Amino acid sequence: MSIQSQISTESHPGEKTKKYDRQLRLWGDHGQSALEMAKVCLVNANATGTEIMKNLILPGVGSFTIIDDNKVGGEDVGNNFFLDKDSIGKSRAHAATEFLLELNEDVNGDFIEESVDNLLQNNPTFFNNFTVVIACGLTEKSLLDLANLLWDNDIPLLVCRSYGLIGYLRIVLKEHTVIESHPDSALDDLRLDSPFPGLSDYCKNLDLEAMSKKDHSHTPWLVILYKFIQDWKRSHNGELPKNYKEKNQLKELIREGIRKSENGVPEQEDNFDEAIRHVNTALTHTKVPSEVQQIFDDPCCRQLTSESKPFWILARAVQEFVANEGSGSLPLRGNIPDMTADSERYIQLQNVYRDQSNQDICTVTNYIQTLLQSLGRDEPLSVSSEHRSPSSSPGQPQDNISDSDIKLFCRNASFLRVIRTRSLSQEYAASCSKITDLASRLDNTDEDDELVHYIMLRVVDRFRTEFNRYPGAEPDSMEPDIAKLKGCLCKMLQEWGVNPICVKDDFVHEYCRYGASELHSVAAFMGGAAAQEVIKMIVCQFIPVNNTFIYNAMKQSSLSVEL
Amino acid sequence: MIKLFSLKGQQKDGAANSKSGMGPKKASAAQLRITKDINELNLPKTCLTEFPDPDDLLTFKLIICPDEGFYKGGRFTFSFKVGQGYPHEPPKVKCDTMVYHPNIDLEGNVCLNILREDWKPVLTISSIVYGLQFLFLEPNPEDPLNKDAAEVLQNNRRLFEQNVAKAMRGGYVGTTYFERCLK
Amino acid sequence: MACDWPNRWSHLQKILERSGPYAHPDFEAGQEMLPFIKDNIKVLVIGAGGLGCELLKDLGLMGFMNIDVIDMDTIDLSNLNRQFLFRKQDVGKTKADVAAAFINKRIPGCKVTPHFAKIQDFGEEFYRGFHIVVCGLDSIIARRWINGMLVSLLRYNDDQTLDQSSVIPMVDGGTEGFKGNARVIFPGMTACIECTLELYPPQVNFPMCTIAHTPRLPEHCIEYVKVLLWPQEKPFGDDVGIDGDDPSHIKWIYQKSIARADDYSIPGVTYRLTQGVIKRIIPAVASTNAIIAAACATEVLKIASSCCQQLNNYVNFNDTEGIYTYTFEAEKKDNCSSCSQVPQQLRFSEDDKLQDVVEYLQESAAYQLRAPGIVTMVNGKNKTLYMSTVKSIEEATKDNLKKTLSELGLLNGQRIHVADSTTPNSLLFHLQLASSMEKE
Repeated sequence: MSIQSQISTESHPGEKTKKYDRQLRLWGDHGQSALEMAKVCLVNANATGTEIMKNLILPGVGSFTIIDDNKVGGEDVGNNFFLDKDSIGKSRAHAATEFLLELNEDVNGDFIEESVDNLLQNNPTFFNNFTVVIACGLTEKSLLDLANLLWDNDIPLLVCRSYGLIGYLRIVLKEHTVIESHPDSALDDLRLDSPFPGLSDYCKNLDLEAMSKKDHSHTPWLVILYKFIQDWKRSHNGELPKNYKEKNQLKELIREGIRKSENGVPEQEDNFDEAIRHVNTALTHTKVPSEVQQIFDDPCCRQLTSESKPFWILARAVQEFVANEGSGSLPLRGNIPDMTADSERYIQLQNVYRDQSNQDICTVTNYIQTLLQSLGRDEPLSVSSEHRSPSSSPGQPQDNISDSDIKLFCRNASFLRVIRTRSLSQEYAASCSKITDLASRLDNTDEDDELVHYIMLRVVDRFRTEFNRYPGAEPDSMEPDIAKLKGCLCKMLQEWGVNPICVKDDFVHEYCRYGASELHSVAAFMGGAAAQEVIKMIVCQFIPVNNTFIYNAMKQSSLSVEL
Repeated sequence: MIKLFSLKGQQKDGAANSKSGMGPKKASAAQLRITKDINELNLPKTCLTEFPDPDDLLTFKLIICPDEGFYKGGRFTFSFKVGQGYPHEPPKVKCDTMVYHPNIDLEGNVCLNILREDWKPVLTISSIVYGLQFLFLEPNPEDPLNKDAAEVLQNNRRLFEQNVAKAMRGGYVGTTYFERCLK
Repeated sequence: MACDWPNRWSHLQKILERSGPYAHPDFEAGQEMLPFIKDNIKVLVIGAGGLGCELLKDLGLMGFMNIDVIDMDTIDLSNLNRQFLFRKQDVGKTKADVAAAFINKRIPGCKVTPHFAKIQDFGEEFYRGFHIVVCGLDSIIARRWINGMLVSLLRYNDDQTLDQSSVIPMVDGGTEGFKGNARVIFPGMTACIECTLELYPPQVNFPMCTIAHTPRLPEHCIEYVKVLLWPQEKPFGDDVGIDGDDPSHIKWIYQKSIARADDYSIPGVTYRLTQGVIKRIIPAVASTNAIIAAACATEVLKIASSCCQQLNNYVNFNDTEGIYTYTFEAEKKDNCSSCSQVPQQLRFSEDDKLQDVVEYLQESAAYQLRAPGIVTMVNGKNKTLYMSTVKSIEEATKDNLKKTLSELGLLNGQRIHVADSTTPNSLLFHLQLASSMEKE
């Protein structure tokens, strides 16, 4: 992950910079400003809810609003760190807001002591101001109502819940675009399979034979590999080494290129070793990654309108580049890894890549200009050097596109991502439910499949709808509820057309044991995970889960699944 | 799955609030590992170790007296400091003797891959001793710390040989004065 | 408990008072479980930083009322983005004290005892006083130390089997940016820190010659100033080393690094990068710490109550791309230098000489050592009793051979480590010293 990539060049860090130093190294100053602009709404300040908020308030989210019409009960104070004994009987929204505000003086917070159902009915536009809405502790019906409203208004929703030793998280949003996904391990963009003119010129001007011993052993491996690949192509009708055997032959040729001492023993030349080590990766064909190709093929990219988001205009411009000047390749990323080399030639080589990258960015900029004109969005390109991510306010078509936006987009072109989840009502609708297909994999009674917990959570909600309480929630209700829950399970699986034996009775028992308890450590785990997903949505960096995450604290294992 | 011990009925009545004045009774992991390394240090005849405090195996000197090559007849002392991170982290090694050498600078910093970028926990003190000894047999002018010495070695081996001899006898090479270090 | 209120523990009680098919076979569901956790179990939390703050909150809300916390640090402004028990006005105070006071106030009945100290300041008696140790550390050295301590507390039965009542389980968490891990260690029974030392990534050290003469990256320029220029120029006086928390030091290094980078046309030296390289800063966010600490706290509850099977025994976490966990069983090494050492008994009398011990180790059919190097600890300090393979040590220690064991200050129960080329690891012996001639 290139965590240092967006570091600003400040020389006297202010207090805020110092306070947030450890996270600025992850999402940069521009990520931080996006976070500080964000308005987050939490529905229900139960333990899971306040834990999520804690992990958003500490890093400095702009503001939060808590919606909760519950009064604090003794059990709330028992598992929620942001309430105390004196809060019992008072408004949970109010008490939690006050305790949470103590965490960070930079953050604003308020609360509304009202139920979501009331708000949905009386003030449906209320939610339109939020960047993200987080829903905890809602019944199935209220949740679906809220989700529908947010879906219609294009407000991202995150649903989170802790149930005994199980956690559940669902992201619901129409479209989320990511430019900086910060992949943990990405192949370098070096183009040795299709060198650009600047690279060829630079390498051609270096003569390995004529070099001093020192220069020979400090020639960057990129140059060495370039030369040996060209030699290979000359003797193989212009083709690259195609298979394992040919790649090994190329490695052998490089090995023979190592200088020998007077008595014929090969010298220690680290750069040649590096060249040999990189044969396989460097010969990987440079192509547009499938995720990015999908973005190019997306209707949003193919049919731009005057309302198109900057992301899609940028994507389209890059696509035009790929189709024309790029000859099938994305704009050059423009950086090279560290390697054995003298400073001078390493920096020269770095500049060769950087120059080509800048040239590609220039070409893309021209496409952007043409596109904007044709869309009737004739505002000039902002030329300010101030860094602003195009993603900092997603969904705002009137955003202009700055030079630094284009640069950032081009340099991250191979890592672009678009996520679109299904709505909750789609997930819940019998006609297009995915669970039937997915559950068939449970037939083999695979103990390790956490999908069963998704089914169980749906079943306890069914139980809740039917009996107006969760199974095992009341004292002494565990044993009698086992049979009832089993009944709900069978009905539900039947409706889904799933073989009932795929959920073991043990799970029914275990869920009755839980009795909808919210164990603090499970709430804290989910609070961390959910907050991180919210941060991803806000800063438009890193890749949110698509779209459901199940945490099993019994085994410390998890499942991500698209539902 | 392990059979879990039962905590029940197990009373823990340690002196839980007082710091111990006794200190540990068991050697640290780094200490145990270095004991093993030192006990099995198989030194070439050109090397010897000195432990100023035999109870402190983490701090010692290595003396190398090359019997061939440019540095034959010289006596070079290295100080080793092994930290509690050993062997996850390499020991810190410095050359105490001022030496005219392409891979050792005048402050005593040593350029040897296994001391820094190529260190692995499976390596031992012996590995470092062999690495250092090799530096005196085959100084490497391609990756220098002392650039002047490296350039001379590259361009004029005779002059380099003379400079090494001069430095070891005690005297100036260029503007730098070297203490005598012949054995 | 006097400070409880109705329904305070109702969430937790469901898990502890009801049996379930996924509980550990030892689990005894019932109303005694919660009071047992509250009144009997003593937990030690090591570190009151990002993980430590979370752990104290999690454990306190899960019924653990007797907690000690050790931390040697004071609060820094850069802690506040995740160490949520601290406020701006706490900067400069000790982490352990502030964290303990906060928890004790917010969670009635919870008694967190703070120790502003290093873990090395405490001995066996102290650590023996806990049922479970939870670590939220950022240092491998500290992890290895506490691991060694818990291993040294193990007792073995006469038939060499482990006395399970001497096992103090260790739950260990670690985070770095969006990555983290949590693990459960039963010392002597499951993989320990030393068994898996290679799981920790090595420190990044650039080659010295790169730093000195062929810098290519901004980091190389900063390392140059740190490693070579600082000791040469001594900008703040002869004996002043680099203090990463002193802005004037960082500023000096930053400016010199810029100059160095300019000489080589290397782009990218910034103040933030300089600080990061000098202090070896690991990025950190609230969310990852919350996640890993929570997983650790759940495991503590499982160990204390058996309400569910424990993690077996390692989980990796990463939420850069989606949310990813990977659970696996780290393997205990048969030849682990720490936890595989079952101490052997060495029976001698106080009047026996060290020479007798050496000869015994060489001649006894059970050992047949070649050239044993023998070390121990006396009054908390390392002592080399004898080592024949290194000339200077042999000379310094050969007089010990003629001394009696009591003259050498060795006590009954003394732990003695013996290294020999015939064994892959040092052997650990417990010296059984008889005052009269009882040697078998």
